Amino acid sequence: MNDSVNKLKEAVIKGDYKNTPDLAREALEAGVSPIEVLKKGITDAATIVGDQFERMEIYLPELMMSGKAMMAGIDVILPRISSSDDVIKGRVVVGTALGDVHEIGKNILKVLLIASGFEVSDLGVNVPTSKFIQEAERINADIIAISALMTSTLGGQKDVIDYLRETGKRDKYIIMVGGGPTNKQWADTIGADGFAESAPDAVREAIRLIEERRG
Amino acid sequence: MLPVIEITKRCLEGTPCLESDFDLEIFAPRVRELVKEYGIAYDTDVIVPSDNGLADSVFKAAVELVVDVGMFCKDTERIVKFEEQEVRKAIKTAQRETTFGEGEERRTLRSRTPESKDHPWIFAGAGGVTVSNENIFMRLVENYARMIPKANAITTPCLLEVDGMSIRARSPLEIVGSIRTVMLGREALRRAERPGLPIMNGISTAESAVALISGLHPDFGLRKSDGYMISLLAELKTDFDLLNRAALLQSIDVPIAGIYGPIFGGFAGGAEGTAIASVAFHILAMLAYRASWTLCFPIHIKHISSSSPELIWTASVYSQAVSRNTELPALYYPYTAAGPCTDMVLREFAAQFIAAISSGVSIETGGVAKGKYFDYLTPIEPMFGSEVAYAAAGLKRSDADDMVKELLSRFIEKIPNPPKGSRFQECCDQTTGKPSKKCFSIYKKVRDEVSDLGIEFSS
Repeated sequence: MNDSVNKLKEAVIKGDYKNTPDLAREALEAGVSPIEVLKKGITDAATIVGDQFERMEIYLPELMMSGKAMMAGIDVILPRISSSDDVIKGRVVVGTALGDVHEIGKNILKVLLIASGFEVSDLGVNVPTSKFIQEAERINADIIAISALMTSTLGGQKDVIDYLRETGKRDKYIIMVGGGPTNKQWADTIGADGFAESAPDAVREAIRLIEERRG
Repeated sequence: MLPVIEITKRCLEGTPCLESDFDLEIFAPRVRELVKEYGIAYDTDVIVPSDNGLADSVFKAAVELVVDVGMFCKDTERIVKFEEQEVRKAIKTAQRETTFGEGEERRTLRSRTPESKDHPWIFAGAGGVTVSNENIFMRLVENYARMIPKANAITTPCLLEVDGMSIRARSPLEIVGSIRTVMLGREALRRAERPGLPIMNGISTAESAVALISGLHPDFGLRKSDGYMISLLAELKTDFDLLNRAALLQSIDVPIAGIYGPIFGGFAGGAEGTAIASVAFHILAMLAYRASWTLCFPIHIKHISSSSPELIWTASVYSQAVSRNTELPALYYPYTAAGPCTDMVLREFAAQFIAAISSGVSIETGGVAKGKYFDYLTPIEPMFGSEVAYAAAGLKRSDADDMVKELLSRFIEKIPNPPKGSRFQECCDQTTGKPSKKCFSIYKKVRDEVSDLGIEFSS
């Protein structure tokens, strides 16, 4: 592997977000194709970091720092790719339901989605129903992923689905739900397309749902 | 002790900081440094350490963490700082005991110490886990009071619905649900003929300050001798909604608990950092909320339970650190991976309560099946947990360590995919709430197992 790509990969694994833009530029200037830099420098590193987190060899700070480093590198590489649609698995809007301020699970999901090749728009916490939909329209999202950690905020997940259905937009998006009190039964009851117990499972489910939709 | 106005002033005037910077650039690196500086290490061979030096090092590291890092206010995006002198004064002047309950049920919660023969405070019941209807709520609370004579206080469930409508946070439904929670809880205790028993998780259904405040009206039945909880957010954070509760509860002079769920695998890192963060929360509860008792529920970021070895170690070291170095009463709250009416849930409770009691704290009987599924509750689990906790008083930490390891060996493999167990409707009589013969036979089997390990049950 090109030395500069290797350095980029190591920087992403270490969460060295300050140096990843320069290392990405260095790799591109060395003549490595943008897709190769993205795959070998970012995606491969992301896979290693995701696996380490799943085995609890690293913890949330290391995961988040790597996520930051990935984003910094991707920002340099993506404009050099003629059609980013070719390398992005899908676009996802993530956020925590209205009235809920918990975000750790949602943040883990965001990093793991980026690590798996998704473009992610993070709306944060306490997100109003219409904001999910506006953002999904703005970025032409494939998936809207809504987290809730309290039984009293689960309704926010249902609200997004109902709102989409009542405005004739339900079929445009894959809806995924997750967070403490959510389960498969709840997801089915409100008409969500996907549900997962954990962030790594949610990424696998997102990939499955995207592939299913694209045939 | 700092007045809430002073805390609010610091929220408004503290150093501006992005929350992600607080997490990643301030809190996480300082925890890592303190783990190294104090040589704190999780030894996988010892789940309940008998090392007082380790406990005291964790405490000293936590004091440094509070002084160096402070507390983040999410609303103002500023850091609230505390002087070392303020921290030491809060620890020194912490409330040593608090009396709860009325009449025959009036009891005093005091701090314990590791290996103390003093019986722990038994705060028994649902641990705030959700139930789908008022009948289940009533039957559970009645049976907690009837079946757990050693209960010093009751922890009620949380309501999912009012009048068939799902409760929504910060809506009128939450206000009505909170009021109804109080009224039902008091009525259930009256029916169980223990009307003076305190409810210490006031108010389980109230997620917001406005709902808590609504349910406090004396017409509904909460008393000054009940317990009131204010969360601190992971890690070392608060917001104005939580401080609003402090402003009210301090003004009416009721016993406030600072409650917190540090996350293993989260910003504090592994077991060592999570233990330091847990102790730091205990200190912050005194500083930020003027707490007269605290409740800690560390949780595994992947398993969403606290029965794995590294979490029991964390709970044990935390418990020893706070009970050896402060006189503020501390309670431990476990989450089990398994659900009701399984062998595993009872073994998980036994392992965690044996560790906590021998390490010097009291208990709340915790969240069953990760606290995740509504109606996954019976009176058996808190009854069993209370009996183990009561009987574990006086246990040496080294003996507790052996027992915990033996219990762990019987469920550790199942933690990633635990049995979900059965719902109240499947386990208990709908009219009386009494658990089924199957539940009792599982209870008897595991109780005998725990007895064989050396726990001497009183009856």
